[in-house]
Amino acid sequence: MKGYRKYFLNKLLWFLITLVTAFILNFILPRLMPGDPVASIVSRLAQGMSNTTGVQAIYQQYSDLFGTNKPMLEQFWLYMRNVFRGDFGFSFSQYPRTVADVIKSSVWWTVILQFPAIIVGWLIGNTLGALAAYRKGSFDKVLMPVSIFISNLPAFGMAIILLVIFGVSLKWFPTSGGYGFDLIPNASWKFVWSVIVHYQLPFWSVVLITIGGQAIGMRSMAIYELNADYVKYSRFMGIKDRKIVGYVFRNAMLPQITGLALSIGTMVGGALVAEIIFSYPGLGSTILTAVLGQDYPLISATTLIITIMVLAANFLIEIIYGVLDPRIKAAQAD
Amino acid sequence: MKHTLQQVFHSGKFVTGFSIFVAILLIVIIYPLIITDPPLRIIGQGTFFEPGIYVNVYDSISSPHYTLNLDDAAAKRIASKLGEDDRIAIKDWLVAVGIPESEIDTTDTAKLLDQWVNNYDPATRISGMTNATRNYYIRLNNSLKGLLSTDGVSIAVANPETAVLEETSTIVQSDYVNVNQVANVRVLPLGTDNFGRDVLTELVEATRVSLQIGFVAGVIATLIGLTLGLLSGYVGGFVDDIIMFITNLFTVIPSFVLLILISFSIGQDRRGPVTIAIVIGFTSWVWTTRAVRSQVISLRNRDHVNLSKLSGHSLVHIIVTDIFPYIASYVVMALILQISSGILVEAGLSILGLGPRTTDVPTLGLMMNWAMIYQAHILGKWWAYFPVIVTIALIAFSMNLMNTGLDQVFNPALRD
Amino acid sequence: MSNVMLEVRELTTKYITRFRENIYAVDHVSLKVEEGKSLGIAGESGCGKSTLALSLMGYYFPPLHYTSGEIIIDGHNISGMNPDDVRRSILGTEIAYIPQAAMNALNPTQKIINFIEDVIEAHNPVATKKEIFDIAKGLFEALGLPVDVLQKYPVELSGGMKQRTVIAISVILSPQVLIADEPSSALDVTSQKMVIKMLRNLMDKGYIKAMIFITHELPLLYNVTDDIMVMYAGQIVEKASSKDAVFDPLHPYSKGLMGSIIVPESGLRNVKLTAIPGVPPNLKKPPSGCRFAARCKYVRPECKTLSIPLREVAGGRTYRCILSEEELRELYAWEARKKNE
Repeated sequence: MKGYRKYFLNKLLWFLITLVTAFILNFILPRLMPGDPVASIVSRLAQGMSNTTGVQAIYQQYSDLFGTNKPMLEQFWLYMRNVFRGDFGFSFSQYPRTVADVIKSSVWWTVILQFPAIIVGWLIGNTLGALAAYRKGSFDKVLMPVSIFISNLPAFGMAIILLVIFGVSLKWFPTSGGYGFDLIPNASWKFVWSVIVHYQLPFWSVVLITIGGQAIGMRSMAIYELNADYVKYSRFMGIKDRKIVGYVFRNAMLPQITGLALSIGTMVGGALVAEIIFSYPGLGSTILTAVLGQDYPLISATTLIITIMVLAANFLIEIIYGVLDPRIKAAQAD
Repeated sequence: MKHTLQQVFHSGKFVTGFSIFVAILLIVIIYPLIITDPPLRIIGQGTFFEPGIYVNVYDSISSPHYTLNLDDAAAKRIASKLGEDDRIAIKDWLVAVGIPESEIDTTDTAKLLDQWVNNYDPATRISGMTNATRNYYIRLNNSLKGLLSTDGVSIAVANPETAVLEETSTIVQSDYVNVNQVANVRVLPLGTDNFGRDVLTELVEATRVSLQIGFVAGVIATLIGLTLGLLSGYVGGFVDDIIMFITNLFTVIPSFVLLILISFSIGQDRRGPVTIAIVIGFTSWVWTTRAVRSQVISLRNRDHVNLSKLSGHSLVHIIVTDIFPYIASYVVMALILQISSGILVEAGLSILGLGPRTTDVPTLGLMMNWAMIYQAHILGKWWAYFPVIVTIALIAFSMNLMNTGLDQVFNPALRD
Repeated sequence: MSNVMLEVRELTTKYITRFRENIYAVDHVSLKVEEGKSLGIAGESGCGKSTLALSLMGYYFPPLHYTSGEIIIDGHNISGMNPDDVRRSILGTEIAYIPQAAMNALNPTQKIINFIEDVIEAHNPVATKKEIFDIAKGLFEALGLPVDVLQKYPVELSGGMKQRTVIAISVILSPQVLIADEPSSALDVTSQKMVIKMLRNLMDKGYIKAMIFITHELPLLYNVTDDIMVMYAGQIVEKASSKDAVFDPLHPYSKGLMGSIIVPESGLRNVKLTAIPGVPPNLKKPPSGCRFAARCKYVRPECKTLSIPLREVAGGRTYRCILSEEELRELYAWEARKKNE
C-alpha cells in the first residue's frame, strides 16, 4: 500500500504542476500574440469606442475585473483569483449572460457526451483488436483495413456521415441540437426521451472513431505480447493456452490505458468539432459561437475548462492504471 | 539504401498508400494546368448548383436544331415535372372518387395522367376536403394541362426601335441540339458551393493548400521534435530532465486548446495558411520528441557510438553520422504522420472558425466550414462536403498506409 | 548399459513462413542421452540449434511444424501423442525447457508464486495454494534461492536471479530431461558461473536425470557436458565426447568453430584465432551435397553434388564428411606445420 501511496502522490503533484502550467499558458498566450485580444479590449476602451454605451459597459466591466491596464503580474493574480471564484465576467457576444453561466449550461452536455463515448469506444476497440490479434485469419483481414480507414477519418467526417445516413436520409434520429427545439429542459419523460434520441448520433460518431484507433493499437500490442518469451516459456511449462491468452491481454491492455491517458486530449479535441456538426449544445458549439462573436472572455474560459477536464481525466486514468498494474506498487516500494 | 528502398516497395501497404498519395499529388499538379480558372471565382448566381453539365440556353437556341422523333420524350418530360407529392395527391383523389387502389400506380406516369384526365372534375365535392385542398387540385389540374400541351415555344426578340416583340423562330417539342455544337457548355462535376463557386476546382486548390499546410506543419514539428529528441536522448542528464519535463507537460495539456487560444489571439487578419501551419507545427512536436528520444537512448551505448566517442569525434559529428542514420526511418515515419495530422488539425480548426482567413485561398477545412455554416449537410447538398471528407480521409489513409508499411519493414515483430 | 532418458530418431521440423515457404531448420537429427549424462549442442547462430531445442519438446506452435521422426522420453514415444496430452503429461513433468532469453521468460505482471501456481495447477488441478507454496519454498531453499523471491514481480529481480528463478521453476514438476537453450548468454561472468553451477547441481542432486545444453560458446560445454554435438545448417555434422570435440575435432566446421573462439581455458590458450569465412546457407534453398562445402577450406568438387551421410568411427564418434578420419588428420597436421613455419 505504501508503494501505491507514493505513486498517487507523485501523480497528484504532476497533476497540480500541469494545472498551474495550463493556467499560466491560458493567461499568457493571448497576451503574447501579435493580435492580443486583451490589448485590443484596452485600446477599444481608450478610444472611448464608437459603439453603444451598453457594449462599452461590458468592456469596462471586463477591464476592471481583470485589471487589463495594470502590470502583468498583478493581472495574473487577479486572473487566478477570478478563476477560483468562477468569475469570468460577462460574455461579449451573449450579454447579459455571464461567461460562467454560458459555460455552466454547456459543459455538462460535453462531459456526458464525450467521456462515456470515449470509454465505450475504448472498450469495444480493445476487444476487437485483441480478437484480431488472437484469431487472425479473415476476422483480422476484414477488421484491420476497416479500422485503419475509420481511424483516418476525422471525427467530424464520421459525424457528417452518420448524420447524413441516419438523420437526413433514414430520418431515424434528429439532425441537430441536444433536445427537441420545441421543448424546455425539465424533468419530464418526454424531455429525457428527446435528450436520449438526440444523444445517439453524436455518441456513436465518437465511439466509432475511438474504436478504429484503439483496435489498431491493441492489435499490435497483443501481437507483440503473443511473441514475447514468457508466452513460449509458459507454453512449455504446460500452462493452458486460455490462461496464457489471459496473461497476454492483460499485459497488452496496460499500455493501452497509458495510451488513453496520453491521447485523451486529442480525442476530446476531435469530439468537440463533431459536436459542432450536430449543433450539440456543448463546449464545441460554445467555442464556435465565441469565435464568431469575437468573444475573448468566453474563449479563454472555455479553453481553460476543457484543459482542466482533460487534465482531470488524465489524472483519473493514471490513478486507475496504478491500481491495475501490479508493478507500480512493487516498483515504487523500493 | 537501395536494398531498403526495394524492401519498402515490396510492402503492399506502402505501395497502396504511396499510389493513392501520388495520384492525389498528380491531380493537384495537373488539374490547374487544364482548368485555368481562378479557383475561388464565383461563377454561379445562387447557392449549391447540382453537379452536372450546364448547357447555355441562349446558345442552344441559335445552334442548329435537329428533329428527333422519340416515343418516350413526352412521358419523360411530364415525369420530370410531376413531383412525388403531386403523384400522391393524384392518387388520393382517384381513391376518393372510387378507383380501386390496386389499379393506381404512381410510378407509371402515362397511366396516372390518363386516369386523372378521365376522373378529375373540379365540380366534384369530396367530403372532408378543405377549400385549400380543393384549390390545390384546381391548380394542379391547370399545370398538368400545360404539361400535356403539344405546342411548341416561340422565340421572340424585342425590336429595338418599336419595342414590339417579333417572333424569330419556334421551337417544337421534338427539336434537339447537339451539345458539341453549343458554344458554351460547362461541366460542373461537383456542382457549385454556397457562394456559387465550382466545387471541383476549389477542391483541387484546397487540397494543394492543405497539403502545403500539412507539409510545413509536419516539417516544423519534426525538426523541433528531432532536435529536442536528439539532445534529450543523447546528452541526457539535466538537459534530458528539462526537455522531458516540458515534453510531458505538453503531452497532457491538449494541443488543441493551445491552437484555439493562439489562433484566436492572432486575429482574423493575420491568419494566413502559412501562419496556421506554423502554429500547428509549434504545437505538435511532442510525439516526435518522445519517439526520437527513446530511439536515441537505445542507440547511445551501442559499440559503434562508443567507438566514435573514443575517437574524439564531436557531438555534432556523432549525432549526424552515428545516430541519425539509425533513426532516419523513424523520422520519416514521424514526418508522414505529422503531415497527415497537420491536415486534420487545420480542418478541425477551420470548422471552429479559426482557420486561415477566408478571402484568398480555400483549404479543405475552410470548405467544410463553409458547407457547415450554410447547412449543406442538412439540405442534402452532398457535393459541397462529401468530396472534401473523402479527400481528407484519402490523404490520411494513404499516409497511414505508407507509415504502416514502413513500420512493418523496419519493425519485423509486427509482420505477422 | 544405463537407461536412455531421451532418444530422438530422424527428427525433422520446419518453419512455414508468411509466404508459405518451408524452412527445414532441423533435418533428420538423431541423438541419445543416457541417464546421468548431459549433451551439449553447439553451432553458429542460425544453424538450427535453438529450433532443435524447441522441437525436442514435442509440442509445436506456428510457425514451427512437426514433419517426421520420433522423440522417446524415458521409454514413452511422444511423437504421435495428441498435443493436449503432451501439454498435460509431458511438458514440465517429463521434459522441461529453459528459454534463451530467460530475462523475459516470466510474465512481468505476475508474482513468481502466482506463476508457479499456474504451472502446478495446469498439471494437478486439485493442489491447494498452501501445498503449492510449500513445494515452491522447499525447492527454492534446496537450491539456495531466497524464498522471498516468490512474493516478488520479475522486475524486482536482478538478471542472474531471474535466470536462476526460471531454472528452479523449470524443475518444479521434477522432469527427467532438461533442455537449456543458452541459459547464460545474456549474463555477466559471475551470474554465468552461478547458473552453470546450479545446472550441475541439479544433475548431481538428481533433480533431473539428463540435460541438453545449447550454446554457441564451445568452451562452456567442455566444462558442463559429457558429449558435444555440432550442428550446421539444420544437420548434425559431428558428435563426440566433450574432450574430443574440443581438442580433437574432426569435421572441418567443428575445427573452424574451435578456431574462431577466444578460449581462456588452460591448454587452449595458445590457439590462434581464425574465423570461418562466409555465412551459413539459406535454408529456404539448402545446397545439394555437403552444406558446408561453400565455406570449407578442404572442399573437393564432388562435395557439392554427393549427399554425405554421417559416418561412425572408433570411440563412438560420428561426423559428416567425405574425407576419412586419416585424411582429415593429415590435412590438419599439414595445416599446423604450415602455420608454425
